[in-house]
Amino acid sequence: MKANKIPIGPFHPLLEEAEYFELTVDGETVVDIDMEIGWMHRGHEYISEMKTFTQSIYVVERICGICSTSHPIACVHAIEDIDNIEIPLRARYIRTLVGELERIHSHLLWIGLAGHFIGYDTLWMWAWKYREPVLEMFEIISGNRNHYGMMRVGGVAKDIDPGKITELYKHLDMIEKKMVMVAKVVRDDPVLRSRFKGVGVLTHEAAVAYCATGPTSRASGVPWDVRRDEPTDAYDLVDFEVIVLPNGDVYDKAVVRVLEVIESGKIIRQCLEKLKTAQGSILNNVKEISPGEGIGRYEAPRGEVFHYIRSDGTNRPIRHKVRAPSFVNIPTFTASCKGIPIADVLITLAAVDPCYCCTERSIKVIDQKHGSQPIDLLKSSREKTERIRREIHGN
Amino acid sequence: MAEIEQFLKDMGGKITNKIEKKKRLYFNVTNDDLQDIADYLFNKMGCRLLTATAMEMYHGIEILYHFSLDKTGQYFCPRIVIKDKKNPKVNSISSIIEGAIWIEREIFDLLGVEFIGHPRMEELLTLHHPGTVKQPLRFREGA
Amino acid sequence: MGWYNKRLAKSLWVFHASGSPCNNCDIEILDLITPRYDIERLGIKLVGSVRHADVLLVTGIFNQKIAPKIKKIYDQAPKPIFVVAIGTCVSSGCCFKDSYNITEKPESIIPIDMFVPGCPPKPEAMIEAVAKLMGVLNG
Repeated sequence: MKANKIPIGPFHPLLEEAEYFELTVDGETVVDIDMEIGWMHRGHEYISEMKTFTQSIYVVERICGICSTSHPIACVHAIEDIDNIEIPLRARYIRTLVGELERIHSHLLWIGLAGHFIGYDTLWMWAWKYREPVLEMFEIISGNRNHYGMMRVGGVAKDIDPGKITELYKHLDMIEKKMVMVAKVVRDDPVLRSRFKGVGVLTHEAAVAYCATGPTSRASGVPWDVRRDEPTDAYDLVDFEVIVLPNGDVYDKAVVRVLEVIESGKIIRQCLEKLKTAQGSILNNVKEISPGEGIGRYEAPRGEVFHYIRSDGTNRPIRHKVRAPSFVNIPTFTASCKGIPIADVLITLAAVDPCYCCTERSIKVIDQKHGSQPIDLLKSSREKTERIRREIHGN
Repeated sequence: MAEIEQFLKDMGGKITNKIEKKKRLYFNVTNDDLQDIADYLFNKMGCRLLTATAMEMYHGIEILYHFSLDKTGQYFCPRIVIKDKKNPKVNSISSIIEGAIWIEREIFDLLGVEFIGHPRMEELLTLHHPGTVKQPLRFREGA
Repeated sequence: MGWYNKRLAKSLWVFHASGSPCNNCDIEILDLITPRYDIERLGIKLVGSVRHADVLLVTGIFNQKIAPKIKKIYDQAPKPIFVVAIGTCVSSGCCFKDSYNITEKPESIIPIDMFVPGCPPKPEAMIEAVAKLMGVLNG
C-alpha cells in the first residue's frame, strides 16, 4: 500500500507558533515524520556580537517567553566561568528561587495546554488559573510578570525585602495545596490515563542516541539533571529529588512534570527560609572580563540550556552560542512518532514541550495516496477523547 | 581525575594543545582523528554530546565540540581548525551520534562548513528562505 | 456601514497569527481567556480559521521567511478585518532591530490599525485596547 503524506501549513488553529511538520501516513498510522524549521529565526547569535555583556543578558531573555529566566542564568554562568567569578550567598538563593518559580509556571502552562489538546478544557482553565499566583509572585519579586531582568554578571539585580517574603509565603502555601490536587487529577483520571498511557514511546536507547535532555529523557529512564550533576547557585545547599520514570510514554512525561512542580515548591520554601538569615550584598561588581572562553549550563523546564561565550578582553562577546533544550528534543519525534495513529500525533508532539521560538518549527501532514488533503489534527485528537470517555463511562 | 588520566592514556597521541581548567579539558584534534575521539567519548566513556560551536577566526574556521560526562560534571572539548576558508570541509560524526544531525546542519547553514558523510546536507533554519540571508556568521565587508 | 460596525462590536471573533515572536505576547493573549481576566464575557473568542475572524492579532518581528505567509493570511481574511499588533516587536523591532532577518517595517506587509506596546503588554493593557476598538466601532 502506498503511503500518504498530509500537509498542515505553518498556521495551525491551536498552536501559537508557526509550525511545519510533514507526516507520512499509511491509513491511520504514521510511518515517518519530517520537520522544517526557520519561521522564528531572529539571529540572536549575530545580535549578541554587537552588544555589551550586560546588554546581551537582556537580549537573551527574549529568546523565549516561557523559559525566560533560564537563558539569562545560563548566560551569566558562561560569563562567570571565564574568570571564575564568585557569587555572594544571598544572590545564589535569589537566583535559585526565581529559577524554580519559573519551572512551576512553565509546567503548569504545559499541563493546561495538554488538557486543551485532548479536549479537557477544564484542566486548561484550572491549571492556568493557578498559574496566576505564580505570576503575582514574580511581580512582587521583580516588577514584571514575564521577562524579569533579574540577572547580572556577579549576582542579581534586585533584592527581596523581609516584608515581601511574608507575602510570598502566603501565595506559596496556596499554590502547594492546589498542586497536590492537580497531581492527583493527572494521575487518577481514567480518560487521561487511556489517552496518555503507551502513546508516543521514546525508548531509553533512542533518548541516549539523540542526546535528549530534561523531562523528555527523564521519563525514558535516563537520569540526567544539571541541577544535580553540576550544581551551581544554591542547588548544592538545598535538598530535592530528581524524578526519573522508566516507560517513556506521554503519561510518564506528564507525571514527571507534575511531580517536579511539587519538588520545586519544596526548594522555594527552603530558599525563602535561608533568605531570612543569609545577609550581605547581592552583586559582586565585575569591572572587566579577561580573554577566554566560558561554558554555562542550566536546567530549564524543558531540559538543559547551554551557552558558550568567547571574549577577547573588550566589553563585547566575540562569539555567543546558544543551544536550547528543544533543539535536541524535537528530533526525537522521528523515534517516538512512528507507528502511532493520527489522533495521537498532537499530544505526542506536545509531550516534548517544544519551544519553537527557542528552536523554530512548523507542522505539516502529507497524504500521498489522495494527494494533498488537509487533516485537522486537533479535531481528530478531541474525537478520540470523546470515544474513550464514552467507553469508560458507558454512555 | 581518573577519567582524564584514562582518556589521556588511550588517546593522548591524537591530541595537541591541551588546556586544562577546573572541570574542563580543551584540546585540538585533526580531521582524521575526529571520528575516533568522538566514538571513544560517546560509546566508551558514556559522554553526552551537548552541541558544537563554530566561529570564523583570522587563521581559519574553528569548530569546538562539547562532550559532558554527567556522572562527574567533567567536560571534554575537542577543537578542529579548518585552514581552507573558501571551501571548508570536515568529517561528520552523525553516523556515531544521531543527535549531531541537526547540530551539523545548523553549522552548515550559518557558516557554510560542509560535513562529509552527513545524510542530509542542507540548511536547517534558512531552508526555502525567500530573502537574502546567506551564511550570516561569516566575516562581511564593512561589518 | 455604521450599523454593521455596531453589531460587530458586540462579539468580536479573533484570529491570532504569530510572526516570529518570543511567545510571551502569545501566552498573555491566551491568558485573557483564562478565569482571571475572562475576556469571553465581552463576547470575544479565539477562532481556528482566519476566514471566521473579525480581528487579526499579530505578534513578533515578521522574519523574512514568515512575512509572505502573514501576507497570505491577511489576503485570505474576509474584509472588513481589523489588524491589531501586540507587543513592542511589531511596533519598533524591540532589541532585534539589528538582525539580518527582520522586516524593517511590518506595516509594509499588512496594514495595521492598532499597536499595543509592551514587552509583553499586560493583560489589562490588552483589554483597554479591545475597549478602544469597540469604542471606535461604536462610533
